[in-house]
Amino acid sequence: MTEPGSCDNLLKAAFPVIVQGDAICGESSHFLVPKNLLPAITRYLHTQPSLRGRLTLIWTCDHRPVRDTYGLHYLFTLETSHHWVLLSSELAGNDRHFPSITPHVHAAKWYEREIRDMFGLIPEGHPDLRRLVRHEHWPKGTHPLRKDFPWNRVLGQQQGEYHFRRIEGEGVFEVPVGPIHAGIIESGHFRFSVAGEPIMQLELRHFWKHRGVEKLFEEQTLIGAVPLAERVSGDTTVGHSLAYCQAVETLLDLQVPRRARYLRALFLELERLYNHLGDIGAMCNDTAYALAHAHCGRMKERIMQLNDRLTGSRFLRNVIRVGGVTRNIENRQLTALVDELNRIQPDFSEVGAIIFANASLTDRLEATGVLDQQTAWDHAVMGVVGRASGIDCDLRRDRPFAAYDELPVNVALYRYGDVRARLRVRGDEIHESIRLIREIRAKIPDGPVANETSCSPKPGDWTLSAVEGWRGEILYMVMAGEDGRIHRCKVRDPSFVNWPAIQWAVPGNIIPDFPLINKSFNLSYAGNDL
Amino acid sequence: MFRIIKKSLKIGVVTGQYRGEEKPLLPVIPEAKEKATLFKRSLAIREVDTGSCNACEMEMNALLNPVYDVERFGIHIAASPRHADALVVTGPVTVNMERALKDVHKQTPDPKIVIALGDCAIDCGMFKGSYAVTGPVERHIPVDIRIPGCPPRPAEILNALSELRKPTV
Ligand code: SF4
Repeated sequence: MTEPGSCDNLLKAAFPVIVQGDAICGESSHFLVPKNLLPAITRYLHTQPSLRGRLTLIWTCDHRPVRDTYGLHYLFTLETSHHWVLLSSELAGNDRHFPSITPHVHAAKWYEREIRDMFGLIPEGHPDLRRLVRHEHWPKGTHPLRKDFPWNRVLGQQQGEYHFRRIEGEGVFEVPVGPIHAGIIESGHFRFSVAGEPIMQLELRHFWKHRGVEKLFEEQTLIGAVPLAERVSGDTTVGHSLAYCQAVETLLDLQVPRRARYLRALFLELERLYNHLGDIGAMCNDTAYALAHAHCGRMKERIMQLNDRLTGSRFLRNVIRVGGVTRNIENRQLTALVDELNRIQPDFSEVGAIIFANASLTDRLEATGVLDQQTAWDHAVMGVVGRASGIDCDLRRDRPFAAYDELPVNVALYRYGDVRARLRVRGDEIHESIRLIREIRAKIPDGPVANETSCSPKPGDWTLSAVEGWRGEILYMVMAGEDGRIHRCKVRDPSFVNWPAIQWAVPGNIIPDFPLINKSFNLSYAGNDL
Repeated sequence: MFRIIKKSLKIGVVTGQYRGEEKPLLPVIPEAKEKATLFKRSLAIREVDTGSCNACEMEMNALLNPVYDVERFGIHIAASPRHADALVVTGPVTVNMERALKDVHKQTPDPKIVIALGDCAIDCGMFKGSYAVTGPVERHIPVDIRIPGCPPRPAEILNALSELRKPTV
């Protein structure tokens, strides 16, 4: 176990020029780093055996017009202590270049391409500088997150072509899929190179659904932006709104009442429940096992109707607010909820037994779409997908938020990294969520469910917040602007990190298995594209 | 095998176990109804996502679960726009999806019905004005009916669809 203190000392000993910065939140260290040292330090953090930092977030902030600089920030999570290490660097306003860390830290690849698109800063030494968010028809020089780019600008058009990585040779051909798919799913493009049946390579082309969410945040007030956070990814309404609200509460120095913290955990678990149930059903459906799909769909619907009865929204919209929750759930309702879940649990166990007793189904699941532990680690994969590949991380246990400091969570962990492992993680988490909700019912204290505040943060103050949503770690960086507005809000859905990893789980499998593998990851397109 | 039969017997029929709504929130215009007379018995729907948050899609998906079981009304989801009678469009139409939407509309054989599902599709919702959004849907393709909500409940979608296909008197 690395002690946080020792990690600071290690870093300072290895790189004497770095300066300790202000602490940003609990259990974290913050260093100010000259930009030319970034590759060396990140490499050290990432590879040093006693640290093993997992890249968690990279974000940039345009400080103009206040200061003529751009801020670059790199957040790492240490493997054993789950301590955060944040490296910050500044670029002068006329300096367009910063050194890329991708050659040493794979997981930085999309982040740096995103920064190039959104800010026009160039990661020098990056192996792949094609456009990511901005498709080819966006005119040159449009970098939406720069402060001189108006949020409602009408974009022009230009000609351009995206060059996919090509494999050439006898019998190799390409299969393009999307952006519009056959089922009712979101839009994204997949390009397969196949030789016969097996897939040799998959390349993703996403960001079709880019709606400009981060820029829209900058048009909102800190208190008023919760509905926007809820709509980043509709199936993770609670996860996103909770992560956002926590960040704002830190900025406002606002305490959330105990009861509200418990209710937040309750809503988060309900969200996990209905999504996991739906996913298990959809995975069975992709193996053509319609019976299990129907049963899971039925149970998912039950939970969503339950949500509707409890809160007036099937997706738990409008329940989390800055300072607490918008409505109290009476103890009587909680008891009824637990009773209902007590009936659903054996129901689910029976369906689970039917699923796993089906040999032809398990045959499809086993050894399909394997993401091995090393690859998962290299791409900083986390959440459900990570836990199925032996990456032991769960923020509910590692960096407790809401009421999880009083609700110990048993983390499901599997090693094989195949579709079956991802299904098993979800199955285990369903039981765990039901157990947690029972515990919430038993432990929830009485009291108010929201606090108010009238103070507003100093412009330029910023903070980070993290929530374990049902897909994985959701991160928000919120920086306050003038008059209680938002200067910058960085949103990171777990999908943004896990999407690139799917490219490594697919090769060697056949195309008909791809929908199944994709479902077993079940990543968000909306949360990724923002 | 016995386990499966036992389970099915124990659960019974769950179809229809939802709170129905009486009237669609927005009235269905007679022109749309007229167009829909052709599809009274069967309606093949193609869903197009032009930048939604995924909640609207999930509610469309929910229509297929045993509780709503939309197929009992002769409505099914087509895998290709060329097999579709109706397009259901969700999302505010992003800059990147605009072309795909127009393509899909062109590929769908006439006569066709276009349904804007959710507040985003109807007036861009929270994303109105953003540099990355060029919608709403009706700016790009003609829309026949609108189902408001963020997201509309499956019962509301079902309701609007059956209202659409009710004979005009
Ligand atoms: S209408 Fe609401 S639920 Fe539907 S896509 Fe838009 S934001 Fe999401």
